[in-house]
Amino acid sequence: MTAGRLSLDEIFREEWPRAVGILTRVLGDLSLAEDAVQEAFATAVERWPRDGVPRSPGAWILTTARNGAIDRIRREKTFARKAELLARLEDVPADADADVSSIPDERLALLFTCCHPALAVEARIALTLREVAGLQTPEIARAFLVTEPTLAQRLVRAKRRLRETGIPFRVPPDHLLPERVRDVLRVLYLVFNEGYAATAGEALVRRELCAEAIRLTKLVCVLMPDEPEAFGLLALLLLHDARREARVGPDGELVLLADQDRALWDERSIAEGLHVLRRAEAFRLPGPYQLQAAIAAGHAEGATPDVIAATYAALEQLDPSPVVRLNRAVAVALAGDVAAGLALIDEIQGLDGYSYLPAARADLLRRLDRRDEAAASYREALALTDNAPERRFLERRLREVTGSG
Amino acid sequence: MKYALLVYSDQSAWDGIDEEEAARRRAESMPQWIALFEEMGKADPESTGRELVAASEAKVVRVVDGETIVTDGPFAETKEQIGGLFLTTLPDLDEAIRLAALVPAAEYGSMEVRPIVER
Repeated sequence: MTAGRLSLDEIFREEWPRAVGILTRVLGDLSLAEDAVQEAFATAVERWPRDGVPRSPGAWILTTARNGAIDRIRREKTFARKAELLARLEDVPADADADVSSIPDERLALLFTCCHPALAVEARIALTLREVAGLQTPEIARAFLVTEPTLAQRLVRAKRRLRETGIPFRVPPDHLLPERVRDVLRVLYLVFNEGYAATAGEALVRRELCAEAIRLTKLVCVLMPDEPEAFGLLALLLLHDARREARVGPDGELVLLADQDRALWDERSIAEGLHVLRRAEAFRLPGPYQLQAAIAAGHAEGATPDVIAATYAALEQLDPSPVVRLNRAVAVALAGDVAAGLALIDEIQGLDGYSYLPAARADLLRRLDRRDEAAASYREALALTDNAPERRFLERRLREVTGSG
Repeated sequence: MKYALLVYSDQSAWDGIDEEEAARRRAESMPQWIALFEEMGKADPESTGRELVAASEAKVVRVVDGETIVTDGPFAETKEQIGGLFLTTLPDLDEAIRLAALVPAAEYGSMEVRPIVER
């Protein structure tokens, strides 16, 4: 069933965080708000197919959730602050045809709360997908290859921690804002990555997670139009996502950027990514995501390898993490100086257990025709990854350098 | 929310130093403590703080099969022991963390922020 162009699922995903956000503000408790909104959605599932989708689905959901919460709190005998909560709920406009946009949008506060650093990273991701993306628990469980009870438990524990430790529901004050924005963007980046490069199993690309990460990042750009890195991240995700189809070969094997069939790149997504990147660059405040997006854009627009290597050098200045240093080393090698790239790789500390390091090292050794050393590095990489397409790729290369393929 | 801010530090850092050195160290951190008390008083005028006598002076009490057993010294043989605590009512965890970071012990020891259960 659809309402105009939107399916019921899409309406739910759109309206869930709005309603949960507004009621969390009113009730001061995410779990209470969620229960009320959940009940309203259950009523909608029952009634809308029969009576038609209301003119303003968001107002209908909010009004129904508010009325449900009032009923429930009235029935509670022992509820502390009962009168106060009822009074606050009565103040929420109760007109199912009204325009919800007159009520302050609390989705940003909801996002910051779900991404609070006092929560475990896994909990932040699960909460963000549940509350801000409006995904159902089974959908999130599937995407993360965990059982439903496991994920449900993770959400329950996260919500308990929100309540018991006093994690605030708000957009952080200025002195905390820069680091908290980084925390939020990092969660969105991790959601995308989880969908883009699954760490286990055959599903190299779990496209729904990528789509959700992009949708949420767009939301952040709309809600915080002055955050250059939000636009930088959005550009990065769009440009990566554009290469989704080209990234895996017909047999599910990983295809390196240089070998990808460009006809499989999504032109519209690339154009959108480049457009967003220009917007990010207009702030003249380059951040790590923006520079990574510039690198991805360079690949998409056919920049020369030394331009790419130079952008990596700029990125390393802002973010001297081992992963960035590894990528820069590879870029230097691709720009022509394989020996220099190899020397940079050998300087990297703190990436033990990261399969891409021996894989990249193996590749450079292969290019230098140091076959025995290359074979040793391919074996090292193989010992570190369970990802089936990656394993197939590494095994093929290993056969090449040992002359047994 | 009510919070306990627990001050952990390594008491052995004070072992074997003379009175003069101890006084010098205390005087050195005094401006930081004063700044902390001021901020904490602003955040919650009713907040309280107490310093504890060294953990080496503690008695550990257990009742085993109805018999009270008292032993000396800290319960756990960890390097850092609780040296004091603050009790305070604050708007949220962010504020509790901000104040905990102002405690000088956060630099030479560590602070534990523990929300207090309210029933």
